Amino acid sequence: MNPSPEEKDPQPEDYLRLLATHERSLSNYVHSLVLNAADAEDIVQECKVVLWNKFDQFKPGSNFLAWARKIALHQILNFRRTSQRRPLYPLDPDFIESVAAEIDRSAAHLERRSAALKTCLKKLPAPQRQLILWRYYEGDGIDGIARKAKRTEGAVYRALSRIRSALNDCISKTLNTTGS
Amino acid sequence: MTPEEQIERALEHRLNPDEWKRLQADIIADPELRAAYVERSWLHAQLTAEGPQLPELLNAEPTSPVKTRQRVRTVYWAAAAAAIAIVATLWISPNEQKEEWVATLVQAEDCRWAGSDLPTAEGAQLGKGKLALVEGMATLRFESGAEITLEAPSTLEVLSKMRCRLIEGSLVANVPDSAHGFTIDTEEMEVIDLGTRFGLTASGLGKTHLYVFDGVVEVEREDEARKRLVTGEALVHGIHAPVLDQEVERIATPIESEDGWLSIPTTFGNGKDAYVRQGDSDNETGDHPLLMVKSTDFVPTNVRHAYLAFDISQANPGSIADAELTLQVRSSGLGFSTLVPDSRFAVYGIADNSWDERSLLWENAPASNLEGVEKLAEFEIPKGSPVSQVSARSPELSSFIRNQPNGLVSFVVIRETGELEKQGLVHAFASKEHPTAQAPTLKLKMENDAL
Repeated sequence: MNPSPEEKDPQPEDYLRLLATHERSLSNYVHSLVLNAADAEDIVQECKVVLWNKFDQFKPGSNFLAWARKIALHQILNFRRTSQRRPLYPLDPDFIESVAAEIDRSAAHLERRSAALKTCLKKLPAPQRQLILWRYYEGDGIDGIARKAKRTEGAVYRALSRIRSALNDCISKTLNTTGS
Repeated sequence: MTPEEQIERALEHRLNPDEWKRLQADIIADPELRAAYVERSWLHAQLTAEGPQLPELLNAEPTSPVKTRQRVRTVYWAAAAAAIAIVATLWISPNEQKEEWVATLVQAEDCRWAGSDLPTAEGAQLGKGKLALVEGMATLRFESGAEITLEAPSTLEVLSKMRCRLIEGSLVANVPDSAHGFTIDTEEMEVIDLGTRFGLTASGLGKTHLYVFDGVVEVEREDEARKRLVTGEALVHGIHAPVLDQEVERIATPIESEDGWLSIPTTFGNGKDAYVRQGDSDNETGDHPLLMVKSTDFVPTNVRHAYLAFDISQANPGSIADAELTLQVRSSGLGFSTLVPDSRFAVYGIADNSWDERSLLWENAPASNLEGVEKLAEFEIPKGSPVSQVSARSPELSSFIRNQPNGLVSFVVIRETGELEKQGLVHAFASKEHPTAQAPTLKLKMENDAL
């Protein structure tokens, strides 16, 4: 069926522009809800396809990120239902919805935290940077890092956990002291 | 565990399924916890999502201070420096190893624990330390993949993900290929697994019993060459350790309680106790401190029956109103309770009192095939049960005793239930030679008018 000429066709350029602006935030959203990085990445990719397929339903000028999140949440809940390989870290659907609502509620706050994180990352000394790179750039698990660093898994886990806590504190302090 | 720590563990999938389920429920219920969780999972997510840009972000020079924000930055730097100092200290601390998790308590149904310095709830993550299981059976999964089912009463020391020490008690180990080399120490030996399933019992008195259900293990002992055991092979270390040369303290008179019960142990008068094993043509057990009882369809030579005789010459048969047989349950140090069901025992009366405990063997024991004898009573010992004493009591028991003409009454105690696999538990009861436990005792309720 041909779209009527009066109606504005969804344009690929519009979609790409909006996606480029909000992609990082959308990705954060999915990763926050799905703790398994590989699953989250699959969902983000699927989500981009669905967003494009449904882009004709998006009202230009409305909040793209809010719309995209709604679709992503649906994808996450759907993924949970259909995925076969899930026994270890099951996510309760009520839990996902509850956390999703919290992210929506504090979206602005979280965006500010994201900005502050970039500042805080730059202050990390070399050994901590290496750990963060192994974990998040090379995507190593705790076990992989333990082998590389010749440390026990428990030690690696605690070190990583403390770096995250230090970053989290740094972010909170940055925001508090700048009054944001 | 603080909420913060729970969240951190959740992010790295280091909570066990139950803890994770509980945390999710808590997060749904508690808005404050939910906000804290979202902040941390958002940070984790951003680091993951920023992954490809991280080298750039990390290596970039700190932006030059803006004049108006000088004071703020000083505060920030102090805070960041402090936080980083903590991280650095903990990262290089050499004492970290001792806090490492090495195993998970995957199953602990109906367990009772004593004096354990490790958490004992099902699902608990275990570091190094001791576990003392008083009742029940518990399964531990080591990080290496090795799985151990511990049977009460047992004390186990967890040493690393590849090593533990059985101080006392019994266990069955299932060791997958990933955990080749998994080692269990006992007082006497070191059992090194080469991919297998095996059972190990340590008595704590210098006796270790090892049986390989499937696979290969190696045994390292002091002053002996390393020994290799394969499927179906057993090694009993210290079984010929000298039997305690215990003087049996015979008692002069049966003990009479105020409520009219007369207690007659096998240590009284002409009382006697022993056990026979079908496969033994010597090795009389009259002076053995334990009476062993077993039934099996797999290895008939391992069937064991206990014989008891009580001197009832001090009791007027006509006035016996009730009777109860009491036995103290002790560890035999042989076999594994994992391999037996809840066990049911039966007490049969035997008319022949002439047996001699010093020469009693299967071949000369009265009614060893249970022909022509009457079942008088039953009792049960559930699997993994901590019971230390069992009693059998029935009208048939008192009636049988009343009809004994010679001042002696004899019983044979057998186990009616078998075993699920070879190497099932051998039950044991204290005999009159036992150094600490009460001897088998027959209690008779005497009618008042006869006293």
